[in-house]
Amino acid sequence: MDNRFANMFGLSEEESITTLDTPLDDLRDAPGNPRYVAASQLANCPSEQSVQALIRAIQNTNPELDNRIVRRKSVESLGRIKAAEAVPILRGCLSDEDCYTVENAVWSLGEIGADDPAILEEMAQLLEKPGQTYRVIIHQLARLDYKPAVQRIQTFVDNEDKTIASAAITSIARLTGDRAPLAQVVEFLQDSTVYTRRLAIQDLVDADHYEAIPAIAKSPVSVSFRLRGIRMLANAGFTSGKLTFKDDIEPWLDKAILDNPKDIELVHEYDQPPTLEFLISELYQTDFGRCYLAMQTLMADHRDGLTDVLMATYAEKACDDYGGHYVVMKLLGWLKHQSALDLIVNEGLKNPMPQFLKSQFAGALALGDLGQSDAIPHLKEALQSPVWMVKYASLMALEQLGDSEGLAIAAEDSDWLIQAKASQIKANSSTVASA
Amino acid sequence: MKSVVTTVVTAADAAGRFPSSSDLQSVQGSIQRAAARMEAAEKLAGNIDAVAKEAYDACIAANPYLNDAGQANSTDTFKAKCHRDIKHYMRLIQYCLVVGGTGPLDEWGIAGSREVYRALNLPTPPYVAALSFARNRGCTPRDLSPQALTEYNSLLDYAINSLS
Repeated sequence: MDNRFANMFGLSEEESITTLDTPLDDLRDAPGNPRYVAASQLANCPSEQSVQALIRAIQNTNPELDNRIVRRKSVESLGRIKAAEAVPILRGCLSDEDCYTVENAVWSLGEIGADDPAILEEMAQLLEKPGQTYRVIIHQLARLDYKPAVQRIQTFVDNEDKTIASAAITSIARLTGDRAPLAQVVEFLQDSTVYTRRLAIQDLVDADHYEAIPAIAKSPVSVSFRLRGIRMLANAGFTSGKLTFKDDIEPWLDKAILDNPKDIELVHEYDQPPTLEFLISELYQTDFGRCYLAMQTLMADHRDGLTDVLMATYAEKACDDYGGHYVVMKLLGWLKHQSALDLIVNEGLKNPMPQFLKSQFAGALALGDLGQSDAIPHLKEALQSPVWMVKYASLMALEQLGDSEGLAIAAEDSDWLIQAKASQIKANSSTVASA
Repeated sequence: MKSVVTTVVTAADAAGRFPSSSDLQSVQGSIQRAAARMEAAEKLAGNIDAVAKEAYDACIAANPYLNDAGQANSTDTFKAKCHRDIKHYMRLIQYCLVVGGTGPLDEWGIAGSREVYRALNLPTPPYVAALSFARNRGCTPRDLSPQALTEYNSLLDYAINSLS
């Protein structure tokens, strides 16, 4: 579980419970929604008193928006802390009028692993109720292995909402063992809608569809989603002995983390040559498919003078925008902008902000691209990072810079993937040396 | 892209019928509110940077502990404000004003986001704080006519409700 934001709100458990129990009217003038923050924070506090406070919040059925979202978040937090004693109240939420409360209740019951057939049947019946979040319901029915729902899930495989169709196809494959239709979900990785592409990755992970790793590596979505998907499939496939690191994981993981647009199957194209200004603005798109096309076009058609433009956009915009920041880090490396070394080290590799995590591993790779040995101590230091992508990218960069001392550090890492990467780099260098 | 008009026509076409009188009433209602929506859309488009920045700043005002040592806003550069995402949602709200329905938010901002935020355990309170601030900040007649403000606020409520 990613807990980068666990302490974000700086609230103790006691403070959170007190706030959550405070009547809505007493907090009208407080900025934001303190009860909503408290309900979120208690997801990090798996104690009996937290569970009871969250249950009390759900029992407050004031229909006002500011309370409704608190109830809903409380439902989710109980799922996060896997509170089995909350199953009865979560079950009651399955008939709530608010479809998002229902969605969260279904999700939380899945997290808790509520396998009472009566509860599962109530969840399955929601598939016949209009206006529900069918994708989440379908996921949880598959996760809880409720085979009597197969016929009802089948009605969604051709849903006009492809994210629902994707969930239905995957879930039927999980429940019946017939995996042939998963090819359709792999095709969704190239859909024109970014959410269809993103969520198809999750579906393929849920189905342990290891064969999809190459297609995931090439899908035009944010590198975070691709790396997360490949990593989850790698964990499952490697530990079960179905995948080898060298042949089935490393080639695609390397491509994904290098994140070069030439290795990505883009779904967009320009109908006329775009201007430089337009391309720069596209680097800030939330649809990464469009970012990749812009990056590729900038490198191909606007390489001269691009570093100046990038540095200007960095100062103006990218330093505050984690998506644009990541792209700029990558481009500075590809352009081998030597004077950017300090910037890449301090604002990329060592960026402390949780939402700038991608810039850390992009920074590591950019340092490898620059080719300066001054970066080696920083990259070795990054091998102690708690984030596997940063360590993996640092190993790749150190290999590029000709350093082998980092391999000894990585060989002792607690993460099997980092050990495997170090071992493979060592094996490659031995092969080269003996040749 | 779903809107009141496309929903009515699609439903009628699926059933091989003409739009019913209640269908036409809903289209008529949407058209009657169009001027107010366009007013809000135009103002929002013209002030998107200021509106979005105020909303991010509100996140920090509501959560000052973010400035504490080790927290996400502990350096000089204010990076924790999720400028990008808030602006994205404000843009989708603007599209909704133009369309006269929640299609852009539904299709491009909500359905997948909820799942992604939950799967990655990303915090949603900053979005709620930012969008709530934007909802409470609008003032009539200073910023918008009462009708335009109603249209704008109802979409902010819709976004808060859907993302939380």
